[in-house]
Amino acid sequence: MRAAWTIAKREIVSFFVSPLAYVVLAVWVVAMGFQFYLLSAFAASQPFGSGSATDTPLKHFFGGTTLFWLCVLVFVPLLTMRLLAEESRNGTLEPLLTAPVSEVSVVLGKYAAAVVFWVSMFVPTLMYAWLTSRFGDVDPGALGATYLGVFGLGLSWMAVGLLMSAIARSPIVAALLTFVALGGHFMLGLGQFIFTDDTSREVFGYFSVWTHLDAFATGVVDSRYLTWDLSLTALALFLAVRALEARRYES
Amino acid sequence: MIEVEHLTKRYGQRTAVQDVSFRVGRGEVVGFLGPNGAGKSTTLRMVTGFLAPSGGTIRIDGIDALAHPVEAKRRIGYMPEASPLYPEMRAREYLRYRAELKGVPRSKIASSVERALEQASVVEAGDRILGQLSKGTRQRVGLADALVADPPILVLDEPTAGLDPNQIRQVRDLVRALAGHKTVLVSTHILPEVEATCGRVVIIHRGRVVREGAPGALRTSVTGGTSLLLEGRGRPEAFQAALAGVPGIDAVEALDAVSDVHVRARVTGRDGVDLAEAVFLACAAAGLPLRELRPERAASLEEVFERLTTDEANLLDAPSGSPPDRGSSDDGADDASGTQEES
Repeated sequence: MRAAWTIAKREIVSFFVSPLAYVVLAVWVVAMGFQFYLLSAFAASQPFGSGSATDTPLKHFFGGTTLFWLCVLVFVPLLTMRLLAEESRNGTLEPLLTAPVSEVSVVLGKYAAAVVFWVSMFVPTLMYAWLTSRFGDVDPGALGATYLGVFGLGLSWMAVGLLMSAIARSPIVAALLTFVALGGHFMLGLGQFIFTDDTSREVFGYFSVWTHLDAFATGVVDSRYLTWDLSLTALALFLAVRALEARRYES
Repeated sequence: MIEVEHLTKRYGQRTAVQDVSFRVGRGEVVGFLGPNGAGKSTTLRMVTGFLAPSGGTIRIDGIDALAHPVEAKRRIGYMPEASPLYPEMRAREYLRYRAELKGVPRSKIASSVERALEQASVVEAGDRILGQLSKGTRQRVGLADALVADPPILVLDEPTAGLDPNQIRQVRDLVRALAGHKTVLVSTHILPEVEATCGRVVIIHRGRVVREGAPGALRTSVTGGTSLLLEGRGRPEAFQAALAGVPGIDAVEALDAVSDVHVRARVTGRDGVDLAEAVFLACAAAGLPLRELRPERAASLEEVFERLTTDEANLLDAPSGSPPDRGSSDDGADDASGTQEES
């Protein structure tokens, strides 16, 4: 496991010295700022006390707007595309895999780095919670649940991105595959608004990341959703290890 | 120690490496020789665990490399062809990372990195960014990487490709210095390098081992016997007569008259007999002054190599039918054209 830590460290350092990191983070922070402004302006325009107690800008901030999902769907592929596909394109996969490390360590190391990227995107958003708390009440329980939900989403989607990066031979292809896979997952959740019977709505609702974050944002920690996130994570990481092992049989 | 038995690698219809067996003993330096596309890199990648063989066994210091890959890799320092590196890192930083990855104890990382930089003679590039280095320097950083964990076995894939003559000499000196306490398998297609550094040579062609042995032995095995060239003052007949009685000589062949009084001749003897002293004494006794007497480099390793990788290998290949790795394309059309070229 020391090898996984070594790989994660190198990955994080190399990410934060690349211009990509700052472009992504800057665009993300600007987009989130714009979203916060829109939500605050909207909330301010509403008559006092008209919304329910849980209907706050912060509730909508994570997962309540299309802008948020659009950003996540674009930025997750950008953050994960280089993890393994870049190594495979540069040929550095060869020294990496001929070092005394197992494929599992490589995948876990890369994944740990990916989770750090994800968390680093959300640290700046804490400022909005602080801003809101200066002018109103912030429910710390709901806030914690929201961040837990966002973390769960990151765990599973970054794992999917890593899997695509393990399959693809170039970062661009990895990014496209990730975008398609995550877009597909997101669309699947929209099924609950399309189908009319209760069973379908419930099934699609269970897949829906939108529903997940909505639930967490009201302060409800639903273990089913966490189970879904962790299962998807485990599956994607397992497949990524297998994809890496399968490389040994190719030319 | 590296033991490879019946190693085979197939990509669909193509066979890149076929039934390759060889052994590199502890402290031995073995040259792995072959034309481009012969299967050298594929074999080395299987030995180092980057590729999985289709058949055969690999033992690294007695460890089954296919069953216990991490244990086997721990003993190998591998320098891949063209040594791919992370362009954004600095050389020292990269080697520190590699040392840590290879399990060098934290307290020894700094000293290991400095030692490796020194051994590969790239100390001056230590703080430069890898992406900005010349090919030769990158190559030597790759060599430093192979050396950084001080492994008992080194596998070097064309370590001198892209180096200038001075750097080539440095690498040769390094490999020679490693002989005796490290097991080295070095691939190359540069022949003088092999003669200068390797105790033994394995020649591979179209995925098969075509010859194995010491560079000197390979040379004589192709020419058959040893020969001397001499130049002296006297008539050709006088030389013939003087040398006729010397035991071990098969033939004396007059080549040409250099001037009115000097002749050149080739003396061929049986394998493994040193004729030089006997020839000198016989000529001296007959009163024929010599001004040159030297062993003839009848076949250079180039010639051995050329002969083995053209005629003999073609003969070997003929019955098998399927041409091994000739390129990277694996579509049917390419295979068909390959067969045509073969017949």
